[in-house]
Amino acid sequence: MRITPGMTADNAVYNLQQGRAGLDALQEQISSGTNVTKPSDDPLTTRQLLTLQNEIDAGKQASSNITKGTLLLNVANTALGGMADIMTQVKSAAATLLSGSSDPTAIASTTSNLTQLKAQLIDLGNTQIGNQFVFAGFKNSKPFDAAGNFTGTNDSLGVEIAPGSQVGSTISGGSLLRGGTPPVAVGTGATAGGSPVDILGSIDALITAISSSNSSGVSDGIKNMATAADQITAAQTDVAGRLTRLTNAQTMITNNQNTLESAYGDKQNVDYAKAGVELSQQTTAFNASLSATAKITQLSLLDYLK
Amino acid sequence: MGISNIFDIASSGVTAQRLAIEVTGENIANVNTAGYSRQQVVMANGPVTSSNGFPLGSGVQIQTVRRSYDGMLQQQIVTGNSSYQQNLAKQSALEQIQPSFNELASDGLGSAVDKFFGAWQDLSTNPQGTAERQSLLSATQNLTDTFHQINSSLTSVASSADSDLTGITSDVTTSAKNLAQVNLQILASNAVGGSPNELLDQRDLLMQQIAEKVGITSTLQSDGTATVTLAGGQQLVNGTKYATLYTSPNAAVPPVNNILLTGLGNPPPANVPGSDTNVSATVGGAGNSLGQLGGTLQVRDSIVPGYLSKVNEMASKLVSAVNTQQASGYGIDGPPATTGNNFFAPAGVTAATIALDPALTAAKIAAGLPTASDPAPTSSGNNGNALKIADIQNSTLAFSTGSANFDGFYNSLVSGVGSDTQSAQNATAQGAAFLKQLGSLKASNSGVSLDEELTNLTKYQQAFQGSAKVLTTATQMIDIILGMVS
Repeated sequence: MRITPGMTADNAVYNLQQGRAGLDALQEQISSGTNVTKPSDDPLTTRQLLTLQNEIDAGKQASSNITKGTLLLNVANTALGGMADIMTQVKSAAATLLSGSSDPTAIASTTSNLTQLKAQLIDLGNTQIGNQFVFAGFKNSKPFDAAGNFTGTNDSLGVEIAPGSQVGSTISGGSLLRGGTPPVAVGTGATAGGSPVDILGSIDALITAISSSNSSGVSDGIKNMATAADQITAAQTDVAGRLTRLTNAQTMITNNQNTLESAYGDKQNVDYAKAGVELSQQTTAFNASLSATAKITQLSLLDYLK
Repeated sequence: MGISNIFDIASSGVTAQRLAIEVTGENIANVNTAGYSRQQVVMANGPVTSSNGFPLGSGVQIQTVRRSYDGMLQQQIVTGNSSYQQNLAKQSALEQIQPSFNELASDGLGSAVDKFFGAWQDLSTNPQGTAERQSLLSATQNLTDTFHQINSSLTSVASSADSDLTGITSDVTTSAKNLAQVNLQILASNAVGGSPNELLDQRDLLMQQIAEKVGITSTLQSDGTATVTLAGGQQLVNGTKYATLYTSPNAAVPPVNNILLTGLGNPPPANVPGSDTNVSATVGGAGNSLGQLGGTLQVRDSIVPGYLSKVNEMASKLVSAVNTQQASGYGIDGPPATTGNNFFAPAGVTAATIALDPALTAAKIAAGLPTASDPAPTSSGNNGNALKIADIQNSTLAFSTGSANFDGFYNSLVSGVGSDTQSAQNATAQGAAFLKQLGSLKASNSGVSLDEELTNLTKYQQAFQGSAKVLTTATQMIDIILGMVS
């Protein structure tokens, strides 16, 4: 094959271009720190990276939802703790009058005490965080009026903790303090102490019984209060259970995120050691090709012709 | 045989060597000329005479000045260039399109869709929140802006391809005109019996240049002229006549260029868009696979519309899915809260036109879905519908490419753009390597080698000196004989 200087020049330019392109690609990898900077670098890996990224983003969103759900449930939990304390006080206040005291001072102080405790229960039932009432269901207003009538709904604000999986982040005040919507009948005689119990209605009935020194009414009221305390405890257990579920979900998401991010990193993060070695190889090759080009293009018969 | 014969032989040598040095000079001068084929002097000995009883030649003759040329190779180079330029046009358009879909480097449509559904999720945790409603509106604005931006960058790639057509056709016409001119010179040169080597080189180069721009079939006539036919069978150059290839906007809105061809002539008849042949459909070859023109037509007519239709499909599915669910829920406006409202403007079902419904306010975003305990119109804390709309992100929809959710469909589109770009880049790189190989073969055959020419120069120079010496010798011989006479 005849070799002309033009061919040598074309070859040199082509090979120098190839060398430069290789160096450029390595430089881009190293300076960006990513293996795939454009979809055309590796379309298949791009697809996988984007899917991983979507899952990571979905995890972040679920995690943010869980944080909000946890906040609402923690607020509800605190309020329920307060309610449980109040129920203990209601029970002990009523117990002092179990024998059916007719001392007007004792009756007055107990009824006034119970009225205050009921008002406190209602206040706790109206607990809010920001503009959200944790016992109001879907309503955006105080769920209990001063008399204790429930105006909220019996829904729980669902929070999505994973695609298609929801946890209620609020407790229905109607079921909690009134035994249902509308309120269930206050238990008397044989039905006293039955579940569910209308807590606010039962306290009203208890106050009436104490005021009228109705000892069977007081005894019914004390049975009702015992069930009422259990009802609050049951709600606390429910909330604790949901909080555990949220915590577990959060842990799972965190683990998942770690796995996904390390998979993403494996595909996308440049192995600097490898890239560095390749760069040094490529540089050596490019230097050699530059030097060879410089030497060969200088050769000419003209230098030897006189 | 007399001394005068020595003069004849020597002078034929001097003439021949001088011509050979001229040809060598021509080769050296054209070492860097594109399309130049090296020329070689073919020498033969003169007619044999036997006047002295011995057969002896009568000096040297130049038989021909031969052009080192491989027609088959040239044809491959022409074809190779045609498809290389086609791929190059595609590659450069795809490299312009790719950044719009480069979800790896920057937040694009995929991230905007995620943020849109994320805002619905946020709303579901606090359905009456003004901040959540406002941030949903912002996320939606961002989403529609991203759709518009992708649409405009795709459209601008198509429209710049469309305007490129004008430049390409005008280049083709210029080359066709030059080729007709070269054909004329070849005929003239033939008439005086010359061998128009340089003109043939120019002819080949011009055909190659035309083929880079547009798919052609070329035929070489016995008189050395070239006839060039477009991929659709219309003649572009025939002998000394050529046709004008030009663009003319069609009646569509907005108009796109048709490619038209006039009749043959020198100069060709004036452009009459109404009656000239419309070659738009055929000029790029089958599937617009030939020449820069073919690649550019592919970009304008299939690549960009293909991506655009997928983005439009995504916009249309998003608008209909969200609007259907939004219409079945309740806002927090009123009282009473309204239902049946649109979220997106129902008419905007393309990437160019997608927009929030003008009547939509933050309060009309339908987060609430009636339940048994919260009947219609729903309370402001109801998040049932917000959850349903947020779930659209994960629901599988029937797309033209199969069932997928929005993320899946869009990710396929991104990876599709990536693999289209990659395959255009690969095809271009392969084409370049192929052309380089062909170029080397051609250069090996036709290229000028300075070393070779310099060696030839020395060779011919010495031969010239030799012939001149014979002349001197013959002169001295004459002088001697004349001296004997005197």
